[in-house]
Amino acid sequence: MSKDILVIGGGIAGMQSSLDLADMGIKVHLVEKLPSIGGKMAQLDKTFPTNDCAI
Amino acid sequence: MPEKKEDIRIGVFLCHCGSNIAGYLNMEELAEFSEKLPHVTFVQRNLYTCSEGGINEIKKGIKEQNLNRVVVASCTPRTHEPLFRSSCGEAGLNPYLFEMVNIRDQCSWVHMKEQEDGTNKAKDLVRMGVAKAALLEPQESIMSEVQVRALVIGGGIAGMTSALALANRGYEGGLVEREEALGGLLNNLNKLGPTMIEADELVEEKTRSVTGNSNITVFTNARVTEVQGFIGKYKVDIETESGVKKIDIGVIIVATGGRPFVPEGLYNYDGKRVVTQLEMEKLLKAGLDPAIKNVVMIQCVGSRNEERPYCSRICCQTAVKNAMLIRELNPDAKVSILYRDMQMYGVENEEMFRDSKAKGVRYINYDPANPPQVEPDKVRVYHALLGRDMDLPADLVVLSTPLVSQEDAEVISRLLRVPVDENGFFLEGHVKLKPLDFATDGIFLCGSAHFPANIREAVAQGLGAASRASIPLSKGSVVVEPIISVLADEDACRGCGLCVALCPYGALEIQKTEKGRKVHVIDVACKGCGVCAATCYQHALSINSFTDQQIEAQLEAFLD
Amino acid sequence: MLDVGRHPNIELLAYSEVEKVEGEAGNFKVTIRRKGRYVEEDKCTGCGACAEKCPTVVSDAFNEGLGERRAIYSYFAQGIPSTHTIDADHCRQLNGKKCGICAKTCQAEAINFDQEDRILELDVAGIIIAAGYDVFDPSVIPEYRYREIANVVTAIEFERLLSASGPTGGHMDRPSDRAVEAEIAGLEKKAKKSQKAISKLEEKFNEPSAQFYKKYQAGEYKDDEDRKKWADKYTAHLAVTEPLEELKKQAEGFTVAKRLAFIQCVGSRDFRFYPFCSGYCCMHSIKEAIISHEHEPETTSSIFGMDIRAVGKGFEEYKIRGGNNSNITYVRGRVAEITEGPDNNPVVIYEDTRERKVKRQEFDMVVLATACAPIKGIAELAKTLGVELDKYNFIKTSSLSPVDSTTPGIFVCGCAESPMDVPESVAQASSAAERAAEIAFQMDLEKEKAVA
Ligand SMILES: Cc1cc2nc3c(=O)[nH]c(=O)nc-3n(C[C@H](O)[C@H](O)[C@H](O)COP(=O)(O)OP(=O)(O)OC[C@H]3O[C@@H](n4cnc5c(N)ncnc54)[C@H](O)[C@@H]3O)c2cc1C
Ligand SMILES: Cc1cc2nc3c(=O)[nH]c(=O)nc-3n(C[C@H](O)[C@H](O)[C@H](O)COP(=O)(O)OP(=O)(O)OC[C@H]3O[C@@H](n4cnc5c(N)ncnc54)[C@H](O)[C@@H]3O)c2cc1C
Ligand code: SF4
Ligand code: SF4
Ligand code: SF4
Ligand code: SF4
Repeated sequence: MSKDILVIGGGIAGMQSSLDLADMGIKVHLVEKLPSIGGKMAQLDKTFPTNDCAI
Repeated sequence: MPEKKEDIRIGVFLCHCGSNIAGYLNMEELAEFSEKLPHVTFVQRNLYTCSEGGINEIKKGIKEQNLNRVVVASCTPRTHEPLFRSSCGEAGLNPYLFEMVNIRDQCSWVHMKEQEDGTNKAKDLVRMGVAKAALLEPQESIMSEVQVRALVIGGGIAGMTSALALANRGYEGGLVEREEALGGLLNNLNKLGPTMIEADELVEEKTRSVTGNSNITVFTNARVTEVQGFIGKYKVDIETESGVKKIDIGVIIVATGGRPFVPEGLYNYDGKRVVTQLEMEKLLKAGLDPAIKNVVMIQCVGSRNEERPYCSRICCQTAVKNAMLIRELNPDAKVSILYRDMQMYGVENEEMFRDSKAKGVRYINYDPANPPQVEPDKVRVYHALLGRDMDLPADLVVLSTPLVSQEDAEVISRLLRVPVDENGFFLEGHVKLKPLDFATDGIFLCGSAHFPANIREAVAQGLGAASRASIPLSKGSVVVEPIISVLADEDACRGCGLCVALCPYGALEIQKTEKGRKVHVIDVACKGCGVCAATCYQHALSINSFTDQQIEAQLEAFLD
Repeated sequence: MLDVGRHPNIELLAYSEVEKVEGEAGNFKVTIRRKGRYVEEDKCTGCGACAEKCPTVVSDAFNEGLGERRAIYSYFAQGIPSTHTIDADHCRQLNGKKCGICAKTCQAEAINFDQEDRILELDVAGIIIAAGYDVFDPSVIPEYRYREIANVVTAIEFERLLSASGPTGGHMDRPSDRAVEAEIAGLEKKAKKSQKAISKLEEKFNEPSAQFYKKYQAGEYKDDEDRKKWADKYTAHLAVTEPLEELKKQAEGFTVAKRLAFIQCVGSRDFRFYPFCSGYCCMHSIKEAIISHEHEPETTSSIFGMDIRAVGKGFEEYKIRGGNNSNITYVRGRVAEITEGPDNNPVVIYEDTRERKVKRQEFDMVVLATACAPIKGIAELAKTLGVELDKYNFIKTSSLSPVDSTTPGIFVCGCAESPMDVPESVAQASSAAERAAEIAFQMDLEKEKAVA
């Protein structure tokens, strides 16, 4: 029986859940439809409220 | 001990990065230059140093050329330093005898059209890297055990959710609540938007799950009075009615919530005819007086002003909810909400907002420069759309006041050495990317202790904080990079504590030693930011792999 | 992003999709299609040499179509994985033409035109949906004339214009101006060619074309075939250079956009489209106005909205600071219409509710704060996974179980659940991780039981 987790979508939300789980020692399979992860946030110049760079 | 100077054998690997670097810099010249640098015994150019082939070349160099320092000049350490470091380790060289130089971002990319200057800059950078590498010393990663137990401070919906989540993962923990009952603010509420379930039922159900869970020890009428230690090893004193309990835990979650602001002196507030939304909840719970026919609500009372500039996020939704409940109980009552902006963000709130309009709640925008006036039986407001003052009859005026931070937030802040923001709410590690962590490892936050949150948000954050807190618990230990602060010159330290006050991670403390008061670095808490070393006028503190000597050597190499 | 790519416990399956899911919480069988990139992931180093040489130019989706990429490409410069991908729809080789330039260029020998989709089967205990959202396409709102008026753009397009790594290098060049500049570049190329042709003839006859042409028009060289060709070539050249000069003159007057309008609730809080509030768009308009002002201190911005929703930590303060320091005016009211004025300047027609008057105001550029629309394909994904959607097509949850879908063992976070900003997405992501970890923990317990 596997205790792996599947995450669908590699935007900021998918990346953060994957990292949390992976850091807990759980194996994660992260599926992203596009050639690279990053999602919308990667397209943003800077982000509120800190105005630092997006990723 | 550093080897004698003549024993140092540095290998320099120059990466072409395909054409990313080699297309713009003269790599041959750079290689010839590198060969002549002091202690350099081996220079190699690679098409891609990071590829499997390139990594094997580094390993081969370490073994066959007896290299005891490695310098890679390539792209950015942000992406590749961990790879190169661990490769050195795999070849038997201490990973911290590695130095990286960025000749892509800093040379080839920014000087695409200036090959000569770009190459000269790359030479400077390589020379500086080599100078530092010669002085590098081996370091060992620091590991510290974690006590697999958690403490949650605050027994509102957020704290209870966190405690339960951790318990569901098999982790034991304590939940400290200063009041007699669990539930927090919900104990004073009537029905909860948007689902309109009874607050009491929710509190009852959650309380039952928490108190019935064998993994959770609940302390009510209790307070945290002393916290010592660091991530993985905290000793906490909890003052309860039956004396002080001492517990050992590994992580802490702060879920102390907020309290509604009491608008003394504003809009003729008297708690009877002019009440707060919190008092309105009580009136509704008791069954509203049928004589109440005209209700006026005023938003942003005590918020979005100079003293409290923030928007408290949840008071608009509370007003809309209560306005609808009033109309339900007294269908012919007129309810008007005087607002600045209706903060009905998202799907559920906007839906409730629309619903309320359909149910006859009236909305009138007011200008904070010309605020409403509460008079004995009416409220006067300047109606912007009509362009004139309007009188609204009112048997009941309800003031929407913000959630403000707990009065004793400062105490928790001091005990845990975590910061609060300018409004007194706890300050997270990064507003965008670490909303549930403190900058200090091992301490987390959720719910209204962080910023006003509704129940959906408080529950989500409660789960999220549990996730974050469970990471060190699941590992059972924490490993940190040894690039941290060390008390390099104990005699020089005067124990003044300047550095202690400035460390953003609470990693320093003053200890009494035989030689007097001296600073002590809590290894696992230090992030190597260097604030302390830069502050210490006695140069007592030093950062591993960034020592004064190493940096001076780099500067000298640059000025050569 | 990097940490995700490097984490030993994360298997990154980019350019892949979930095809089938069977089973239940604790025991899902998942089929995944890894689409062929025609580039071997373990060989490609991401150097980009291939893309430099690829002759096929394609509009760049990452830059919202405002820039171009090649048929072999990396989705964006810092993308993870950095493996390049051949766009099979556009690649010449894959469409039966002769090319293969990238394969010749690639020193890592990573190109593989025969690579096929691979099917992968996974056993997992739980699933997290984090499929995000789509930007609402405002071309369906007739009164805003998006796509008809060049200088009306969406907020995400504006982000790309602001970005130093974007198609304008961070300059707020107006789309109408960029179109003219692109036209100039095209004509210049043509002019260079035609110039070459007439230069040859000028050399041959040792006479400037203009001088010759006057004589030719006057009737000299009637039956001279060679000179007739010259005259034809020369007129063709003029047909290019004359409009070129005209456009160049026009382009001299171009400056970056300095008067900006931001229109809120485009597609949100609108019964025709999405009745909900998208939550983050008030804030991103303020942000874009602040950053524009940082780029160009003369910039002024008007933000047109019904309510300005700045409800996160520090957001109200951010909004006020923007108003005080970045020349932002907040105008209460809904914009009725956008028309086009002189110099391709959009004109905003709105009712000023404070002054109770209909007003018109001209801007250099108008930015539409578009709604957070459910992501394309979410209905199919929900069906594959067997989870319910809410009435707008977000994954259905409830307020007391904010990250649980209607199917046990399947969780959701971020904008796939409902519109939310980054801090909320991050917090919710951790919540979903917690719920998924609880399932994984139960699997551990059962394993222990089975052993004992
Ligand atoms: C113009 C604009 C500016 C913004 N500015 C800010 C800002 O400054 N600050 C801020 O906090 N927020 C901002 N936001 C909001 C922010 O974009 C979102 O909060 C955030 O991106 C949500 O992240 P997500 O991971 O949920 O979704 P996404 O970023 O959309 O990621 C979803 C991922 O899932 C993938 N995916 C989709 N379907 C599938 C499938 N079937 N299978 C596999 N993968 C799939 C997608 O390709 C994508 O990579 C802005 C939004 C816009 C439109
Ligand atoms: C009038 C009103 C109406 C509302 N209506 C709704 C609604 O309809 N729907 C909705 O979703 N939300 C509503 N809310 C919001 C809701 O109350 C909050 O979302 C929720 O209470 C937040 O939970 P919490 O656990 O973060 O904080 P709290 O409920 O404030 O709980 C914090 C707990 O920590 C304890 N504590 C504090 N300091 C210490 C300490 N030093 N040591 C030990 N314990 C400590 C407190 O005693 C308290 O029990 C309303 C709020 C108000 C004011
Ligand atoms: S939520 Fe509404 S009432 Fe509360 S501070 Fe914000 S705008 Fe004012
Ligand atoms: S396919 Fe080859 S040329 Fe293209 S990026 Fe990858 S390694 Fe470089
Ligand atoms: S084969 Fe395709 S991807 Fe490669 S260079 Fe030619 S068009 Fe571009
Ligand atoms: S966040 Fe602002 S612009 Fe976006 S839908 Fe809500 S009110 Fe409209």
